[in-house]
Amino acid sequence: MELLSYFVSALTPLNLLMALGGVVLGTVIGALPGLSATMAVAVLVPFTFTMDPATGLIALGAIYTGAIYGGAFAAILVNTPGTPSAIATTFDGFPMAKRGDGSLAVTLATLASVVGGLVGGVFLLLLSPPLAKVALAFGPPEYFWLAIFGLTLISALSVGNTLKGLLGGCIGLMLAMVGVAVVGGDIRFTMGTHTLLGGFDIVSALIGLYCIPVLIDLVATPDRHLKVEQGNRGIRLFEAFGLAWKSKFNVLRSAIVGTIVGVLPGAGGSIAGLVSYSEARRSSKEPETFGKGAPDGIIATEAANNATVGGGFIPTLVLGIPGTPPDAIILGALLVQGIKIGPTLFTQQGDIVYTFIFGLLIATALMLPAGLLIGRYAYKSIASIPKTLLVPTIAFLTVIGSFAIHSNLHDVQMMLSLGVLGWILNRCGFAPSPIVLGLVLGKIAEQGFVQSYLIGNATNNITGMFFGRPISLAIVALAAFTLLYPLIFAKRKEKAKKRALEAARTYSETNGETTVSPTEEIKPAPFDPLAGLKKQFAKPRDVAGMFFAVLLIAAGGWAYSQTATMTPMGSVFPSTISVTIIVLSFVLLGLNIIRKPAAASGSDEASHASTPRRVALVVAMCLWVFAIPVLGFATAAFLAFLILARVACFEVMGPKRLAIEAVAGVAIVGGLYLLMAQVLLIRMPTGLLF
Amino acid sequence: MRKLAIAAAMAATLVSGTAFAEYPEKTINYIIPFNAGGESDVSARFQQPYLEELADQSFVIQYMAGAGGAQAWSQLNGMEGDGYTIMGINLPHTILQPMEKDVGYETKDLTYINFFHYTPNALFVPKDSEFQNLQELIDYAKANPGLVTLSGSGSNSANHLGQVQFDELAGITTTYVPFSGTGPAVTAILGSQTTGGFNYVTSGVNNGDGMRMLAVASETRVKAFPDVPTFKELGLDIVGGAFRGVAVPKSTPEPIREKISQMVTDVNNNPEFKKKMEDAGFVLTDITYDFINDFVAAKSEEYREIAEKLGIANR
Repeated sequence: MELLSYFVSALTPLNLLMALGGVVLGTVIGALPGLSATMAVAVLVPFTFTMDPATGLIALGAIYTGAIYGGAFAAILVNTPGTPSAIATTFDGFPMAKRGDGSLAVTLATLASVVGGLVGGVFLLLLSPPLAKVALAFGPPEYFWLAIFGLTLISALSVGNTLKGLLGGCIGLMLAMVGVAVVGGDIRFTMGTHTLLGGFDIVSALIGLYCIPVLIDLVATPDRHLKVEQGNRGIRLFEAFGLAWKSKFNVLRSAIVGTIVGVLPGAGGSIAGLVSYSEARRSSKEPETFGKGAPDGIIATEAANNATVGGGFIPTLVLGIPGTPPDAIILGALLVQGIKIGPTLFTQQGDIVYTFIFGLLIATALMLPAGLLIGRYAYKSIASIPKTLLVPTIAFLTVIGSFAIHSNLHDVQMMLSLGVLGWILNRCGFAPSPIVLGLVLGKIAEQGFVQSYLIGNATNNITGMFFGRPISLAIVALAAFTLLYPLIFAKRKEKAKKRALEAARTYSETNGETTVSPTEEIKPAPFDPLAGLKKQFAKPRDVAGMFFAVLLIAAGGWAYSQTATMTPMGSVFPSTISVTIIVLSFVLLGLNIIRKPAAASGSDEASHASTPRRVALVVAMCLWVFAIPVLGFATAAFLAFLILARVACFEVMGPKRLAIEAVAGVAIVGGLYLLMAQVLLIRMPTGLLF
Repeated sequence: MRKLAIAAAMAATLVSGTAFAEYPEKTINYIIPFNAGGESDVSARFQQPYLEELADQSFVIQYMAGAGGAQAWSQLNGMEGDGYTIMGINLPHTILQPMEKDVGYETKDLTYINFFHYTPNALFVPKDSEFQNLQELIDYAKANPGLVTLSGSGSNSANHLGQVQFDELAGITTTYVPFSGTGPAVTAILGSQTTGGFNYVTSGVNNGDGMRMLAVASETRVKAFPDVPTFKELGLDIVGGAFRGVAVPKSTPEPIREKISQMVTDVNNNPEFKKKMEDAGFVLTDITYDFINDFVAAKSEEYREIAEKLGIANR
């Protein structure tokens, strides 16, 4: 068989070495927030020119797939997606790590990533040309509805707090509108500054919104960052295998969803992860555990995002349209090597393409041992490292990561301000994830909407454009199903609970043991359509929420007034969102005026949480950012490292430990600085010193 | 160690201008103000090995995408002008953006070094489109004003200008649908989401089987597509597209500017490079440092006329 001979040619020692080295390097880069696969691939492309094309491609593909997988480490261990693809991994990964199941989470992520990657790779191997047609069938309306489908996840992420979740989503959508608009070309909401011309960078927003709140709360108490695992259970491989096997349909479904979303140029791993997370939650028997550390949540996201690697290569190789930014660089590399892209690539240059695909599959399989080995130490070290080192190290990673995106301090400033804002919003009940969803999906939704409208308007068929296309309708149906499912499910769950209670009662009667108190008898709730509303009124008044509602009404009003000078194309989306923000804020305000004020009670916050330390952390980080251009990147980082170590220090340390930690500080700052400046060749500000 | 190196470098600059003769002595950062995979990136990647061979130093390509390139160009003059930072630069972008609004730089503030190629606009339709030639499309558009939808990369871009000129000269009304880059715009044509689209000739090379090129907006036919007529041949005076080159921070010394321009020209004259670029659909030009400011001035006037028609010449 011909395919088999390509498999053998992928097995040369050099190819295997490239696959293993690429995966390890990629995993490390992906685990560091801000450093992306795109960056690593871009730096390494010139080196591959000296190699045989297939070998070079294998190295690049291995780095890419490793980086997508590596993103899970940061998501699980510090609640910050290492790459945007791992956004949904934070939802359940971090809660698992917090309760001491970090190794299990990492092992699960590894298994799911490997399987997902293999499924994506097999599709690439066997079904590329037909799947490439999917990319072409997806037009503007489909992208619009896909983004809306992604946004429906907000309702699931903010159960019991839907109003604030929706408002958070709108805030994210509004942030996505900032900068130069692709459609219409308007400059929107930059308030006259040039720093906002390019808009809010998603990666810097991710680092800020997810990681800064973790840091702020980390210094507030002497408690450990993650619970140390009880006993020595190692990487819990068998337990993870068991869980993954039990969820085999979830793995498979997520991998297929990931492959298909990967095929769509412009969608990418973050959407794949969110969509399959949403699907996994919907089809789960225990959807209420999602967001609180459900293994299925990690499995779904990680299987899907690694499947996008194989999926993304399909349009890249068949159509010459890159599925994702790293694909774009690889496509450029192929062009420079004089390889002709297109359907003929598979027949005329099969030796290169098939060797590459097998190499990618081998690299994905190698992720299993490599990932488990890295994971074994990653969780242990993050869980056991003292806070005096952990806090400054994470802080350094946020700064260097957001700087690395464009070699630009603006992104660092944006990261820090969004982070502090995110912490305050979170304290007032606005979770970060809806904001992130809005930010990630906003541009796709807007472009899809305006393009569909333009085409529909030109062909006099606007309704048909939005509601008359089969793929669109299927996505709309899925979105509606996801939204309505919790309502249907709530009924079923009540019945199940009743049944369980009855069973327990019979059990207790027969054994004479009272496991269920008789008062717990469940009456069938009378059908009351206003029950949800009554529940809402019964809550105590939320003063912080009211304060934000007023702020948001003002901001929405300002945003709406700005849309007057925009082109119709550029204004339709922002004006709709600003009106939505105003309406939702008025509802929130009105609801709280009706509610009774909260009974005066002591601060519900743990009394040992230290506010001065939180303030000190934020002040220190602000000073740090301002000091970078003056003192130079490395100097400022090292000083900040020392200061933050003090902020996070809750005990008296002997001179020996102080010395050890100072050395560790120099090593961490120096090592990462060298990685940035010398390996990834990012331009670092030098300032007065270095 | 590093400080010593800096001190040595400073001393060297103080001694005399002859220090420039040694340029380049270390890695050069080549910043692309767009995402990877676009024409700017690909053409820089083509240059990379030849530049490295000439300079005997490595050239590192970095991306600084944002605001259609304005993010990077507005920061260019703040970067170190030692010759080790060069940036890709594009026309009409750097003329149209500041003409329309304040984007943080002015056309004249930028230090253009050399435009080494351009990609003409071309009008594409999907492979199975009913339109076999330009005239059929024009006739259809005349009979059905507004019904023809044309995709392109971004608003107020070279593609958009092409569509505006096409409408005016052919006396028709088409609908322009902006996409977030050449990739998505081409996908829309391949998938028949739009009637057709204005895109760069280079897109026709990668996706040649899926699209038909009706006409190309260059003075003469493009080497990669000898069978495709120019708009001029068909009676429409449309010549346009995007010029790409390199720029440096304002503080870069004259001798280094000339040296960079010379390197770019030398690479352009390399027959191997020439063939690779032309096969990929690029048209080589050689607008060197001596002439480049006159060239930009002339282009500015030309684009202002079209921009006024578009209603975007606000400044």
